[in-house]
Amino acid sequence: MPNVILEIKNLKKTYPNGVRGLRGVSFQVLRGEFLVIIGLSGSGKSTLLRCINRLTDATNGQIKISIDQTAEKVDVTKFKSPTAIRALRKSIGMIFQQFNLVPRHTVIKNVLMGKLATTTTLKSILGLFSVADRTEALNYLELVGIADKAYLRADHLSGGQQQRVAIARALMQKPQILLADEPVASLDPATSHTVMNYLKKVNHELGITIICNLHDLSIVRQYATRVIALKDGEIVFEGSPLAINEDWFQKIYGIGALEKEIG
Amino acid sequence: MKPYIIRRSLLDGFCFSVICSAFYFYLPEAVLNTEMNFKLQIILFLCELILGALLSSVLYRGRITTLGAKIFQPDFNPGVAEAKNFYRTFWGWQFLVTLLILFIIGIFKTRFSFFELLNIDGLQGAQRLFLGMASPNWQVLPQAISNIIETIFMAFIATTLATPVAFVLSFLAAKNVMKGRMAFIIYLFLRTILNLVRSIEALVWAIIFSVWVGIGPFAGMLALMMHSIASLTKQYSEIVESVNEGPIEGIQSCGANKIQTIWYAIVPQVILPFISFTVYRWDINVRMATIIGLVGGGGIGTMLIKYQGQAMWAEVGTIIFVIAVVVWLMDQASAVLREALK
Ligand SMILES: Nc1ncnc2c1ncn2[C@@H]1O[C@H](COP(=O)(O)OP(=O)(O)O)[C@@H](O)[C@H]1O
Ligand SMILES: [Mg+2]
Repeated sequence: MPNVILEIKNLKKTYPNGVRGLRGVSFQVLRGEFLVIIGLSGSGKSTLLRCINRLTDATNGQIKISIDQTAEKVDVTKFKSPTAIRALRKSIGMIFQQFNLVPRHTVIKNVLMGKLATTTTLKSILGLFSVADRTEALNYLELVGIADKAYLRADHLSGGQQQRVAIARALMQKPQILLADEPVASLDPATSHTVMNYLKKVNHELGITIICNLHDLSIVRQYATRVIALKDGEIVFEGSPLAINEDWFQKIYGIGALEKEIG
Repeated sequence: MKPYIIRRSLLDGFCFSVICSAFYFYLPEAVLNTEMNFKLQIILFLCELILGALLSSVLYRGRITTLGAKIFQPDFNPGVAEAKNFYRTFWGWQFLVTLLILFIIGIFKTRFSFFELLNIDGLQGAQRLFLGMASPNWQVLPQAISNIIETIFMAFIATTLATPVAFVLSFLAAKNVMKGRMAFIIYLFLRTILNLVRSIEALVWAIIFSVWVGIGPFAGMLALMMHSIASLTKQYSEIVESVNEGPIEGIQSCGANKIQTIWYAIVPQVILPFISFTVYRWDINVRMATIIGLVGGGGIGTMLIKYQGQAMWAEVGTIIFVIAVVVWLMDQASAVLREALK
């Protein structure tokens, strides 16, 4: 199967305090998919994403990634050296619910941080990013529609704008996969759609595979090409977003849950 | 044995031995202070400590809250303990009696005496001193100023040299940066060394360095530097430990290495508090530098001790005046600076 970009087998994560975040999760992701992961808070969505780029170390199981189309898939849970982990992270962008920008730096500097993996330590400390990098940063800011804010401090931007900066920063890495951990959970509905539309654009125009955790089912139906639902660290649903009917909904979110309340 | 049981036993044992020592007052002074009896006293003290610890556990079994249980025992009898006023509790009386006996012993040990305080000869001496200070000899003013400038520079150089060292060390002494087995060992090692250095007072460092490099401002500066490195590292690393993890993960997810992560995610969050602590440290160092001069660390302190030794109170008055003005100015300036940096 040449177009499988990510293959997860029997992934388990037990935290040091004994909490079982993931209890054996297996699935595949095709290149170019917009995969959405849903589930109640605490169901293990963040844990799953963070295992993929090794912000968290899985306890058990395999995460096989084929970074470029030709290469063999490698199991990233086996990576030991910091260099290998950094190389992995370089090819996987990530955006977060709280945006995780550096508030005191300018927008463009935040975007340039996407190039840290390919900049030497000395140059990056002195802030010596190449002209090509700067042009690229401005181009990505253009892509997410906030090039005019490039020289403002990041914390002077609104939430939606900050998340777009975070997307631009991730794009600087030239990632194959973009992980999004509840990217719109702290944004209002209108802004949420703007940000989701930029993710869709990234998915369509740049062909970047997206794995996105979401809460709001109405958003899920509009953007996902496929949905996986987690419950207590296990997959309880896998399929088209349109297949999530009332029965499935109750299974995923618990008996008596109403769609409105979840959103 | 659980740590809180050890702590409870130690505290109650100590209280018990203090209460026992009240009875020693009946013994003549000669018996208490002879060499042979010193060993006896130690043994007696240890016996009392153990007896007290045993008593503590007996009382605990009897559901009586001792002071040790009150402080260290997790959830001991919470409902009952809270309902009573403290003077109707066992631990309240245990505390009061222990404190009272310690206070009485302390009065004896410090040779507290109203007689000495109000002695006519002594009072006249103090009067001479105050009068001298009240009419300063302005002839030594130029010398005093040149010496306090030396003191200020001692503090300045000590702070300036200590800051970059503490900056680097602070990240190595921060738990949230030093994750991983090897890193944690370095962290523990560094913390231990720093605590040791910090527990040695700057005054003691000054004595060490004045033997090492000779009496003078250089020794004083080195002493202040040692102390500043240890103190600043501790303060800095506490700030580092309280940073927001979000930006760190943001930068890490870009594939940044450790140094890049520190530089881009942590440094921007800590730089202002760092500067604020540094300014405050300079302020503290100026004060300490005057004291350090007293033991041969150079600057205004050395001048002060010279005139004090010759009982030249008018000159001492001038020096104290200069110190007071400079310390006040530094204090104000550093407060204004730190306020502006918030
Ligand atoms: N660092 C951690 N230490 C201990 N338990 C954790 C940690 N992070 C998450 N958990 C636990 O793991 C489970 C899954 O959490 P998470 O992956 O954050 O869920 P979600 O993102 O779906 O809300 C929860 O029960 C949570 O309390
Ligand atoms: Mg989460």
